[in-house]
Amino acid sequence: MRYAAGPEVLRDVSFTLEPGSFTFLTGPSGAGKSSLLKLVFLAQRPSRGLITLFDRDLARVKRAELPPLRRRIGVVFQEFRLLDHLSAFDNVALPLRLAGSHPAEYRRDVEELLSWVGLGARLHAKPPTLSGGEQQRVAIARAVVAKPDLLLADEPTGNVDPDMGERLIRLLVELNRFGTTVMIATHDRALIEATPAREMRLIDGRLIEMRS
Amino acid sequence: MNTAAPARIVAKERPKGRILPREEGAASLDLVIAVMAFLASLALGGVLIANRFSETWQAGLAGRLTVQVLPEGETVPIQEVNQAIAILRATPGVLYANALSDSDNVALVEPWLGRDAVVAALPFPLLIDVQLSPGATPDIAGLQQRLKRAAPHAVLDDHGRWIGRLKTTANSVVLSAFAVLALIAVATAATVAFATRAGLAAHREIVQLLHLMGAQDRFIARAFEWHYFIAALIAAACGATAGGVIFFAAGSLDQLGVATISFLPPLGLDLAELPWLAVIPTAAAVIAWGTARASVIAALHEFY
Repeated sequence: MRYAAGPEVLRDVSFTLEPGSFTFLTGPSGAGKSSLLKLVFLAQRPSRGLITLFDRDLARVKRAELPPLRRRIGVVFQEFRLLDHLSAFDNVALPLRLAGSHPAEYRRDVEELLSWVGLGARLHAKPPTLSGGEQQRVAIARAVVAKPDLLLADEPTGNVDPDMGERLIRLLVELNRFGTTVMIATHDRALIEATPAREMRLIDGRLIEMRS
Repeated sequence: MNTAAPARIVAKERPKGRILPREEGAASLDLVIAVMAFLASLALGGVLIANRFSETWQAGLAGRLTVQVLPEGETVPIQEVNQAIAILRATPGVLYANALSDSDNVALVEPWLGRDAVVAALPFPLLIDVQLSPGATPDIAGLQQRLKRAAPHAVLDDHGRWIGRLKTTANSVVLSAFAVLALIAVATAATVAFATRAGLAAHREIVQLLHLMGAQDRFIARAFEWHYFIAALIAAACGATAGGVIFFAAGSLDQLGVATISFLPPLGLDLAELPWLAVIPTAAAVIAWGTARASVIAALHEFY
């Protein structure tokens, strides 16, 4: 994969995420972790190669068929990408709203989830008034609220203290236990060591299986 | 955490948070649309007046003939006038045929020449006003020949040429006004397309995020199209109302006899015609809605 006419940032990368698996994606900064995640959450097309997602060859999927596939994926962006004009509640509810649910159907679930990540008292706060850690928790809650089939997270514990990091990982492990496939891109060795899961390492655009 | 959509019936509650933040600096767009709507209301008012004008004059002239008996020297040959009237009254389909009085003649030229002693002294032809029965189609050429034989100074006018010119003029005014309306519609669409593009650029982050989260193009487009629909509806309603006020004021001045030119039609719209101006905000809103939708969907197709 390459951006515009730039150099290839990923090449000869081949891997499979088994349904219900939990995988860490590691590697130094600039190795291509975020680019790999972008390919999987359908933000970028590969310049060459084959991606099969939910048993569909993406090269053969029409554009109009992509939104339902995207709604099966939850993403925790490294820079959170919250909507600043919406409250924490509305940010978390967004995937459900996009799926066509009504507030009466999801209100309780969203409030419970926000309480679980320690933001029960900040339901109506706008992201600019939240700390980095709080924003990260909102971003994680938004990614998991619709119980996606695949959850991708880019440094999901980068801005929170170790206790909260552990709590958030427990949330992801719990989600995984209910069948969601999880892939987390992280530098956090303590987190990786504490969680028994597969680890794939990206170095200079190439993928090395570290732990399976 | 049970987020699967449950199969229960719930009261519909609309999500409160707007997907897009409120537009900043949209006042200039509102102003442009209001001005466009004002110009459109003038053009539409022109169409209504031209139509009414044309219909009134055609209705006034339809079923009528005029015979002029030209003066011989300084006086009109009265004998020819009487013979012409007799021929006309004997013609099948003629309801009545009467000569106009001198005062009627002066009243006819007054709008153009004014009323003074010089005008009254002019050698006028004598006019015979002829009213036909409804639906009557007399043989104009035959009547013309009979009149010529009995009254050589008589000239028959069935107003056909005048009505033809009037129709052409009215049609030209209507066509020009429709051309202006079409141009205004195109300009409005272009303005909204530009504003939508600017709005998309301003909210690119949000739009891209929604796209990545699986929002359908039409969901994202809806957030834009309703914004521009409402904005155009309100702005165009203001512009059309201003146009309506102008026409209403012109109508009031006509009724008061102020600033009226007698051979021109009244330039005001009456109360029954003013509701036609409501077409303008409706059309503006629909144009804005359609343009915004098309612009957003075209822009979204640039995303994977």
